[in-house]
Amino acid sequence: MVLEVRNVTKIFQRKGKNKIIANDNISLELKEGEILGLLGQNGAGKTTLVNQILGLVTPDSGEITLLGESVYQSPIRTRSLCSIQPQSQVPLGFLSPKQAVSLMGKVRGGKKYNPKRLDMLFDALDMGKWANKEGQSLSGGARRLTAFCMAVIVPGKLVILDEPTNDVDPVRRRYLWNVIRDLTKEGTSVILVTHNVLEAEKAVDQVAIIHDGRIITQGAPTEVKGSVSNHMRMELSLADDRSELDCPGWANSFHSNGTRIIYSMDASNVSQSIDWVKNLVDKGIVNDYSLSPTTIEDAYIELTSNKVVSS
Amino acid sequence: MSLWSHYKYVFQLQFLRNAGFLIFMALIQILISVGIVIGFTYLIPAPDTKTILFLATGAPTIILIITGLVILPQQVGTAKSDGYMEFMRTWPVKRSVILGAETFMWIIITVPGIVVASLVAHFMFSPGYDISWTVVPALLMIALTSIGVGYGFSYLLSPTASLGISQVIIFGALMFSPVNFPMDRLPEWLQTLHEILPIYSMAEVMRASLATTTFDATLGNYINLLIWCVIGYGGAIIILNRK
Repeated sequence: MVLEVRNVTKIFQRKGKNKIIANDNISLELKEGEILGLLGQNGAGKTTLVNQILGLVTPDSGEITLLGESVYQSPIRTRSLCSIQPQSQVPLGFLSPKQAVSLMGKVRGGKKYNPKRLDMLFDALDMGKWANKEGQSLSGGARRLTAFCMAVIVPGKLVILDEPTNDVDPVRRRYLWNVIRDLTKEGTSVILVTHNVLEAEKAVDQVAIIHDGRIITQGAPTEVKGSVSNHMRMELSLADDRSELDCPGWANSFHSNGTRIIYSMDASNVSQSIDWVKNLVDKGIVNDYSLSPTTIEDAYIELTSNKVVSS
Repeated sequence: MSLWSHYKYVFQLQFLRNAGFLIFMALIQILISVGIVIGFTYLIPAPDTKTILFLATGAPTIILIITGLVILPQQVGTAKSDGYMEFMRTWPVKRSVILGAETFMWIIITVPGIVVASLVAHFMFSPGYDISWTVVPALLMIALTSIGVGYGFSYLLSPTASLGISQVIIFGALMFSPVNFPMDRLPEWLQTLHEILPIYSMAEVMRASLATTTFDATLGNYINLLIWCVIGYGGAIIILNRK
């Protein structure tokens, strides 16, 4: 086991304010070469958990071990074994991506640092044209990818990626997932912190959904989806964003986002729902629709919110 | 990995990240220090050699104060608000290595200003420099105190608060501190305050090594600097290691 988090609780007490239970009795395990998707809403407690794993914050109770040794025993060992790509952009200043990544490689690896790995990463992510440009003039995506490379240039046992695909274009996102996969083949485990549930579903081996400081479900993506029962989802797009549709009787929940509406239903109601939506298409209220098995996003929304969500 | 190689690479990382800014600041400091030596002579009609010597031996102290207590806290404030500070805390190096590497970076940028201002003053006014061997350790000690205290308060306080303090310091150091003029011109309460604060001791130690035949620094001045230096760096390291 690379990482073991056991019954970790962290409470923040601010003067004159109510205490915030950021992590409430959290337990997790991560095997070698596994990718864990840590999902949760804003303020759910993901960052607090990550900071405790890195040894930057001490839990009030519970224990975190990395390769069998407490992360607090030797903070420098912990920070050598774990690297992180933070959620906020890393301000590169006058550093070029090449300088930033190679220097971080030397800080992390010393003599073990292999410059060929930098070329390999820049190639794999198609970053060549930015390699020698001043960091502060680069686009958000280029800076995000640089921060990613800084985290994986000399990978330890655990790499934590906090929203690594933010600002990154769709083509390079695919490259990025390939690099992450390759990383795990070499035995590095990955924690992926994200809101982007659909993207995470394709990449992760394990999912943990954290809500109000507690892990409400964890397991393989199929298990997590199963925990919300074996649902189907219908996604439709409205012709006009002012039209309002009620939640039909066959739907268990629905989630709307502009002209996009997602219904979740039992498999037995599929034919009924198709009749319903065909009627709407004929009337011109709905442009198109699709039907698919439940995704992690549906499970995530159902688990972390009330029945009807509108965003 | 050895401490030295960590130090080397962290220094390169921080130095190159700030390179453009540091060059700009070094140039500004040349302007400020030359400005103090020449500009203040406009303020004082027909200054005597002693007055000019005061200004010329005060300018390096002002440079070190500006670097450690004004520019540095502003940079720390920025690093705090844009998340870079938090990112540095995740590096697999001792926090004291980061502080040490950055300290060296800040000291380097003060050197051009100090050297240029002293040369300009010497060739324009020949105010009577008499440089002692103690100039290097004195300079280091003053720089370390100023930088240490700068780290201490900027790590402890919010970026806005430390920005405010650094504005007060720059004004106070130029106008209300016995750096460019003798202490006895100040009101008594301010004299007492300066016996405690490090600015007066910095100025005295600097003067005693740049014009060793004219000025003396007391043992008390050195002890004062040492105490502030330890408080500054100690505080900064405690805050960096805080969980």
